[in-house]
Amino acid sequence: MAAPMAGRLAALGRRLAAPARAWLPGLTQVRWSRYGPSYLEPVVNKEVNRKPLEELSEEEKTQQELKALHPIKATASNVTSSVFSDPTISKFTNMMMKGGNKVLARSIVTQTLEGIKRKQLEKYYQASEEERESIECNPYIIFHQALKNCQPVIGIYNIQKGGKTYQVPSPLKDNRKRFLAMKWLITECREHKHHRTFMHEKLSQELLQAFNNEGPVIKRKHDMHKMAEANRAYAHYRWW
Amino acid sequence: MLRSVKGVICQGPKLDSGYFLHASARAWLSAAVNQDVQIPAEKPRTVFRTSESNPANHAEQHEGQHYSIPLQEVKVVFPHGLPYRFQMQMKTFNESCLMVRKPALELLGYLKSTNFAHPAIRYVIYGEKGTGKTMTLCHAVHYCAKQDWLVLHIPDAHLWVKNCRELMQSSYNKERFDQPLEASTWLKNFKTSNDHFLKEIKTQQTYMWTKRESTEKGRPLGEVVEQGLTRVKNASDAVGVVLKELKKQCPLGSFRLLVAVDGINALWGRTALRKKDKSANGGAIVTTLSQTGSLFKPRSAYLPHELLGKEGFDTLDPFIPIQVSNYSQREFESCYQYYLDRKWLQHERASTEEGRKELLFLSNSNPWQLERISAYL
Repeated sequence: MAAPMAGRLAALGRRLAAPARAWLPGLTQVRWSRYGPSYLEPVVNKEVNRKPLEELSEEEKTQQELKALHPIKATASNVTSSVFSDPTISKFTNMMMKGGNKVLARSIVTQTLEGIKRKQLEKYYQASEEERESIECNPYIIFHQALKNCQPVIGIYNIQKGGKTYQVPSPLKDNRKRFLAMKWLITECREHKHHRTFMHEKLSQELLQAFNNEGPVIKRKHDMHKMAEANRAYAHYRWW
Repeated sequence: MLRSVKGVICQGPKLDSGYFLHASARAWLSAAVNQDVQIPAEKPRTVFRTSESNPANHAEQHEGQHYSIPLQEVKVVFPHGLPYRFQMQMKTFNESCLMVRKPALELLGYLKSTNFAHPAIRYVIYGEKGTGKTMTLCHAVHYCAKQDWLVLHIPDAHLWVKNCRELMQSSYNKERFDQPLEASTWLKNFKTSNDHFLKEIKTQQTYMWTKRESTEKGRPLGEVVEQGLTRVKNASDAVGVVLKELKKQCPLGSFRLLVAVDGINALWGRTALRKKDKSANGGAIVTTLSQTGSLFKPRSAYLPHELLGKEGFDTLDPFIPIQVSNYSQREFESCYQYYLDRKWLQHERASTEEGRKELLFLSNSNPWQLERISAYL
């Protein structure tokens, strides 16, 4: 918590010092915040406030004192203190959303989770005792595992050198991996779906397939890996 | 007594702090009723189920508990009439469990003490959206089916009255319209649930379907139903015939009739199809009001007068109103335990105390809302 604060203070300091320079044409301050430097980030997790005084470490004690003196920023409206909130699911819902219709996106996602759970439970109740332990019924676990299975390990970047564009393989950051997995899943469901099937049905099908490491999204991940392998020769074009 | 029971529990196996208070409270309650103290460790798990599957024996001690109906019986007794989400739940869990609740117990009590010589008493089940009116009706239907009454169950009167894909002019009455599709599905389901009755009841009048086909006097009612099924065009007329025959023969006392209509406020809304409610002797009429499918009515309307309108209220008047409300503390607990037991609540946090409190808050103890929320958790 202290490190990003220091970073932000430094950035703000730089920005405050900037007007001391001569005004440069084409340089306008685009990103600004209504909050001054003293504002602290909100903490949504209820557990943090429930710890008794003795258990707090030194850092946490200073944090508490800071909170008493400084104002706190407002939380985003999609953040809840509910025990059932999941940041991955929120991110996925936002990516599904079209035209700001969060209600529809959220209903699709909840129906998908329900669909996964129903399919797995039906399998569970019709299976014998030994098979029951291997059947996973928790839709959240299936969702997370399926996304993890869809994440590529290595990605491709287009780099221009000497007039030609080369596909250069390079390791991906975590955020990029998560984004690609979700994006592939959603585009796959949108494009290769019969127009009479519901989105949540198709999504639940794809998620279950990805959970078992099969299906079109996993294939796309493997294609990406193969491309990277094929373009191994250009790896030295990477400078980061 | 509480102290002694608590003493017993303190010596018992160590429980989660979350369950501790529940166990002691529930043990005290059921100890007072059942007069035997069971092992506290079993209490939270078994208190939501009961093995009594005959609705005739349901009493107040079973309140809040689920009783299961064998799937074979469900197919016979409820070919139609169960809500869609309940049918999906039945398919997923591979069993069907109804919760015994106070309004249902009240209704069963009245039904048990009906005097068949008097004209039928009308009951109207009303309540806010999603509180369990249809399920109460189904509970009553199950009881009557077990008691061998003839059940005339109309699953949703709104279906008969709006969104007609095929309309035909009725041959009986020039002003009325028919719905052959709905009528034929209803006849099929009616046949499944009341097979043995159809052979016994005889028609009292000849009916001419077309110039060549007619049903003679004294033939079993099953034939009328068959006629309706084979000739879809005459299906709604067949339905009308069935209703007329049953109305005439009810007072004779050879069988007891239960007319169960779901969403009766549909019959008096602004519609094209008109069916007058008839008086019947020797049976009972149980109806529910449903805002969900009704046309031109505001969302928050749930009282009988608002939903039925003046005309409907006058026709149904006098009736016994039965109100169904949200889950009580005990019923909510029972439902929650049932979902946990059937692995419906899969989220890790759902089984914690925090999760339970949040479910209670989010659903406001409304059964419909609770079911919808636990579907994706």
